[in-house]
Amino acid sequence: MVTFKHTQLKNGMDIVAEINPDAQSVAIGFMVKTGSRDETDDVSGVSHFLEHMMFKGTSRRSSADVNREFDAMGARNNAFTSNEVTCYWAHILPEFLPAALDLLADMMRPALHSDDFDMEKKVILEEIALYLDRPGHVLYEAIMKDHFGRHPMAYSILGTKESITALTRDQMKTYFDARYGPGNMVLAVAGKVDFDELLRLSEEKCGQWKHLDVQRQYPAAEIKGGRRHIADPKLKRHYVALMCPGPSAQHDGRYAAQVLADAVGDHEGSRFYWALVEPGLADEADFSFYPHDKVGSFFAYASCDPARSGQVADILQSELKKIILHGLTDQEISRSKNKIATAAVLQGELPLGRMRNICSRWIYNKEYKTLEEDLRLLESVDADAIKKVIQEYPFDPITTTTLGPAAA
Amino acid sequence: MSIVKTTGIKARQDVTTLSNGLTLLVESMPDVRSAALTILTPMGAASDPADGLGSANVLADWITRGAGERDNRALTDYLDSLGVQRSTSAETVFMRFNASMLADKLPQVLPVYGDILLRPMLSDAGFGPARDLAMQQLDAIEDEPAQKLNLLIKSRHFPQPYGRPVVGKKEHLTALTPAGLRQDFANRSTARGSILAVAGAVEFAAVRDMVEQHFGLWQSKEPVQMPAQAAAGGVWHEQQASNQVQIGLAFDAIPESDPDSIVLQIAINILSGGMGARLFSEIREKQGLCYSVSAGYMSLKHFGAVLGYAGTVPERAQKTLDSFLHELQRFSAGAQRDELDRAQVGMKARVIMNGESSAARAGAIAHDFYHYGRPRTLDELRARIESVDLKRLNAFLDTHRAGKMTVVTIGPAPLAVPVDMIG
Repeated sequence: MVTFKHTQLKNGMDIVAEINPDAQSVAIGFMVKTGSRDETDDVSGVSHFLEHMMFKGTSRRSSADVNREFDAMGARNNAFTSNEVTCYWAHILPEFLPAALDLLADMMRPALHSDDFDMEKKVILEEIALYLDRPGHVLYEAIMKDHFGRHPMAYSILGTKESITALTRDQMKTYFDARYGPGNMVLAVAGKVDFDELLRLSEEKCGQWKHLDVQRQYPAAEIKGGRRHIADPKLKRHYVALMCPGPSAQHDGRYAAQVLADAVGDHEGSRFYWALVEPGLADEADFSFYPHDKVGSFFAYASCDPARSGQVADILQSELKKIILHGLTDQEISRSKNKIATAAVLQGELPLGRMRNICSRWIYNKEYKTLEEDLRLLESVDADAIKKVIQEYPFDPITTTTLGPAAA
Repeated sequence: MSIVKTTGIKARQDVTTLSNGLTLLVESMPDVRSAALTILTPMGAASDPADGLGSANVLADWITRGAGERDNRALTDYLDSLGVQRSTSAETVFMRFNASMLADKLPQVLPVYGDILLRPMLSDAGFGPARDLAMQQLDAIEDEPAQKLNLLIKSRHFPQPYGRPVVGKKEHLTALTPAGLRQDFANRSTARGSILAVAGAVEFAAVRDMVEQHFGLWQSKEPVQMPAQAAAGGVWHEQQASNQVQIGLAFDAIPESDPDSIVLQIAINILSGGMGARLFSEIREKQGLCYSVSAGYMSLKHFGAVLGYAGTVPERAQKTLDSFLHELQRFSAGAQRDELDRAQVGMKARVIMNGESSAARAGAIAHDFYHYGRPRTLDELRARIESVDLKRLNAFLDTHRAGKMTVVTIGPAPLAVPVDMIG
């Protein structure tokens, strides 16, 4: 029997746990509500760089100790940074939970040594170079900029070669001090766990962290739409991206938006699939829903032969227009719901999948839903709910950014 | 049949071979409500006709465009309505079908895969787009240097036909015809040498009856084999104005069926398992030379190889390669006890964590059958990992030094490779 527990330490840190006594393993993670959207121009990329630095040692541990200790637990562990959150996680056998918590909690109070900072800067610059060789990523960063303009969602997660080169250790420390308050993070655990023990250990490891008032800015997004082509004569393929406003992570229409996105652009059996991939016009054509914190987007992406770029762009547009005019059929809605539900159940069988789910839900909405509740909400999506989303978010204004060998 | 108990994971494994030679493997997992299936059938790039390289890759797309009574749209809609997560791909030896679903959908899904393998439509209408997409894949690889490196290193190091890039050759794809590819499919389609694995909330007897019913009439013949040829090896550089230099290296290793392969797998974990492993710690953490650096073990039935990878900006590329080669050489001097302990703990944890996933288990038992002739239990995997002590590991490292290397780079300029290390 799966149960949920939540508590809050005096310093404001939330602890959430989905306890499954039948699980063979447990996933634990700290998720911090901070990401590239919380940066400023002069520190672009600091959230992600800091995520790397959190592995570089503490007052009690060297960087090598941190890595070695995770390995000694047989942990699968990593971290990721998005526009909005930074998450540090480990998937372990239950007997290692106290050790993993001790290590992760210690990492949340990093040493940020200058020599480690200088060394890791080189690794970050390598990561930037790596992604510059991936056209899909280059295009995504470009369209986020084009679409969001001066809104902080436009910030690149990695930053640029210039911003990272110029970044100092003290700027990073200032950012850390301002963002990593216990009230701005969640400790989430899913799988086989003794909650009382977890609570006792969290008090011991995190209870003395000072409360900090951390706010996120929510400026209005002024989306104007527009068009831009980036020419890169080295490329063989043409890449096209479209972005338009969608429901946010807090919006009631997000389940319907998810069904809509699946029906329009899942990699198989969707409108885009039949219009573009099945006939061989594009080797990839996806439509996704990105619910962010109080702002949201729909995102379309396709790649094709440069000679077909006009045709593919026209089809993407006309498919979206058809959706606006006629919505989805009941069969499409039902198929997409089944696909999403199955994916959720499969993900729910693994502690890591559940940990991420409860973690981000808590960060965005301070709420918990069981898998069953989630599936019921999904099941309740019907043609009317889809229509409502389309009326409120009619794929307009739309930003189009393309990348390819053509000059214009 | 055997009952398995590994730290609480109870699963039951059954194996049977149909009269046409199809092997059925079933692992019943009591704690899940999903089911996953993996089908491996010997229709991979290695058995592509010599003048039809890339055929299996086109077939892997074409074969799902309608089967039995259902045309392409009906088939796709049907599987989608059942919520099936799926993929079909051509690999070196096999064509692979993976599908995950809620377990109660399996009786509706298995017949569809029976149709796909035994009665694909292979219609003229589906051929053009399937081939067109395969050609586009060739271009897409040119835009992704890391992917391109992966194909190049295998094609330079593995004996042919096993080094063939699955994507094939443009001129061969252009020359394919629907009739020719249909004939190729008829030649290669066989139950013998094929493996169907199911894992999850399923019962062996029920699965066996369904598989008998829907795959029992699959034709049975010897899988097609291509003559083997030695690999080119050596050093190869591909000029490209990429931001990073892609570095790939490969050397021969024992195949997985060798009793010592577990020692090799542990060694690879010490080299490149977690973040504390040697390559990551020495090349990334201590020197900041790259973001990605790794080594992996790859095995087909009769040979294996260790593949190394690093991506780094041109000004650090030579140092990265030198450091990588240095770590490989240094490794022959042996590992420390704590390194062995960490690798073993990590590998054992992975066994248990994968034991929670029906998709991972279906893939694993199919893999086991190909390499070991039977599925392995979680207990057995654990015992095999535990059986290696430091003495055996270090003796192995001493006698299995990194041999003659194949080195491939993609980037603005070639690198210097020490002559004594080149194969």
